[in-house]
Amino acid sequence: MFSLRHVDRGLLVFSIWAVLGFLGLGFVLEGFSRGAYFMSLLGTGLIVAGFVAHIIVNFMCGGGFTSGEAALGVGSFGILALVFIIGWAGGTMPASNFYSGLTLFGVIILGFITYLTLRYGMRGAFSRFHGKTAPVRETRR
Amino acid sequence: MSGSFTSIWLPLYGLFYMATCLYWARVAAVENRNTETFFSAGHQLAPWMAALMMAGASISGWFLLGGAAEIAHHGFALAAVLQGGIVLALPGVFFFKRMWFIGQRLRVSSQVELFRAYYQSDFLAVVSTLVAVLFALGFAAVQMRALAHLISHLTADMISPVQAAAFLSLVLFAYVAIGGMRAVGYLGALQSIFLAAAMAGFAAYALILTGGFAALNQGLRQLASTEGGAALFAVAGVIRFSAGLGRDLTAAPDATSVASLSLAFAFMGFQASPLAAKIILSTRNANGFAAGQTWVMAGFFGGLIAFGIAIIGAAGLINPNYSLAGVLGSLLQTSPWFMAWLVIGLVAGVQLLAGLALLTAGEALVRTIYKPYFHSALSRADTVNITRIVIGLLALAAVLMQFLTPVALSALAGVVLPLAFQLWTPLLGITWLRWFTRPAVVSGVGFGMAAVLLTEPLGYHILSFLGLELPWGRWPWTLHSAAWGMAANLTAVLLISAITNRRTQGEEAADVQAFIASTLKPAARVRRLTTTAWSVVLAWMFLAAGPGLIFGNTAFANIGMPSIWAWSGLFWLLGVAMIWFLSYAMDMASPLHREIEPYSPRPRLRRDQSMQEQRRLRILIITAAAAFVLIVLVNLSFGH
Repeated sequence: MFSLRHVDRGLLVFSIWAVLGFLGLGFVLEGFSRGAYFMSLLGTGLIVAGFVAHIIVNFMCGGGFTSGEAALGVGSFGILALVFIIGWAGGTMPASNFYSGLTLFGVIILGFITYLTLRYGMRGAFSRFHGKTAPVRETRR
Repeated sequence: MSGSFTSIWLPLYGLFYMATCLYWARVAAVENRNTETFFSAGHQLAPWMAALMMAGASISGWFLLGGAAEIAHHGFALAAVLQGGIVLALPGVFFFKRMWFIGQRLRVSSQVELFRAYYQSDFLAVVSTLVAVLFALGFAAVQMRALAHLISHLTADMISPVQAAAFLSLVLFAYVAIGGMRAVGYLGALQSIFLAAAMAGFAAYALILTGGFAALNQGLRQLASTEGGAALFAVAGVIRFSAGLGRDLTAAPDATSVASLSLAFAFMGFQASPLAAKIILSTRNANGFAAGQTWVMAGFFGGLIAFGIAIIGAAGLINPNYSLAGVLGSLLQTSPWFMAWLVIGLVAGVQLLAGLALLTAGEALVRTIYKPYFHSALSRADTVNITRIVIGLLALAAVLMQFLTPVALSALAGVVLPLAFQLWTPLLGITWLRWFTRPAVVSGVGFGMAAVLLTEPLGYHILSFLGLELPWGRWPWTLHSAAWGMAANLTAVLLISAITNRRTQGEEAADVQAFIASTLKPAARVRRLTTTAWSVVLAWMFLAAGPGLIFGNTAFANIGMPSIWAWSGLFWLLGVAMIWFLSYAMDMASPLHREIEPYSPRPRLRRDQSMQEQRRLRILIITAAAAFVLIVLVNLSFGH
């Protein structure tokens, strides 16, 4: 296991997303604006490459995603999904964009589930969301 | 997309870049805790960070701005440009590991301190400082100027070049002054990645514009078949005994193979410069030098130069609209976000070099020149604060020079790399050739600098100002000034070393030599391979960047791409193998774990220096005033 300091890890993660994330998002949006499915697919590929690189850095540092990273990731995903659903509900979205969006969100969701399963196991992955609390016993007065 | 929509991306990305710089500067400032680690990040920069930063600073924006333009205007004849990754990596393989060990032993954090400790030479300390200042005011500033004009062009003059330059300099000053070397290191790693991504992005888009690699080469073949076109793809002989640019009026081409070789020498100046030493001496350990020089510098960035920069240049060669500015202009219409992303990569590359140069120059001027000579009682906090002010003044001077004195700026930028290359001899004396004596090295560097200045427009203009016209122009015999300088430098060093006493070295030098002999003693395997290593390096230099380049004119005539390009690609691959061989097999840069006991000088009585310092300051002012008067008088009498 490598010993990467906190700042080193931060720099690596930042550079991964500043390059692959920005570029990937740019290609996805460019694909949407041109109705070019393969351009969006390229963007999706870059975003997936960003996730893979991030997970490799996590492995090297011996940890997982920080809570800030998880919040940012889930928040961004939520906003993108909301914009996509509004666009789809408007009824004017071309078919290529619809499939581009489905591919992007499908790949991200599948990748996320695969990551959780591989890292924590099936049961452990579920427990990431299902927070157990200690049973509270009612007391008789 | 509408005009307003296209124009918003660049400012948006600019803001993102500024926020990134300020965020990491703040992180660095918090980590610094106090002023003790401002200059060298507490010698704690991670090896991977130093490797990336070294590669990015070595490449800077020059290869995208200058290298691609060289190919776009003059073709592939100056083939050394394509070997940039290898020749830039070579000096680091020779020097970095030993320099780091010596730095740890003597507890020094800059090249100026290293020279002063080993040679006890004020002259070498001043030369090293001068080179750092010239990097900040010349080399980096000329790239900033090109960038400011490009940004102004891309925003349709909505942002003027002055505004762009002022903004870039402000961001630069802010992060260097806030976070010091740690911020320069953190951001340097990021900026190198941005730069590499931009180089790859430019190359990919140039390929798309030209219709792919096959179509690009088809265009090059057509160009070669036109009248005079073949000269763009062939090295013009070994040497031409011309009087130099500006003096020789014949139309014969100057891209000879010795022009390539001597340009490669100039490239080798960067990693011998005080900027490279600053990175090395701020690094946590010596474990990353081999990987950095072999895989990051020679392998990854070398490949980007041999193919990426070549593709961008070749696209501009077959169609001037596909030059760097043309590509960005085209992207502005089609994918403005991608254009902005590429420009930010270019900005990052230039700022990486500029930030490092500003910090190194500021430190050299204040901490290693002003403080020891004129104000030794200065506290650490005051030293850092004065350095911050000097960094601000240097950044301001660079911006002013970009727009008020562009010719002088260009002349200063031209001498930086060849002058830095002259520092090879003192570095060789410290790290490998201990029989180089102090007087020999000092004289050698002096002669070398004189030869560089006499074969560059800067020296030519200065002498012309004083009424003396040189009979030759720039780069006589098609030899770059770096080679002229090194010829004079080496001759003086060898002759004077032969006739001066080697036993007059200082205590620090004697300790360093004993330390190197005991700690970095080559293994028996390495000693057996020494002759092979010499032969490999000389053969590679001869064939890849030297006279052997003329074989490349025709060696791969029928493979669908220009023969000289294919030759360069092959020798880039062989160059990576050579760097690996030197770094790992010859142990020149390989990782080594040793506890390093710091050198303890003999205790000396500290005397009050204030009187002596005041006297020095008076002498300096009087000398400067006398020199000024003398120059004016000579100019009035003989100049024009």
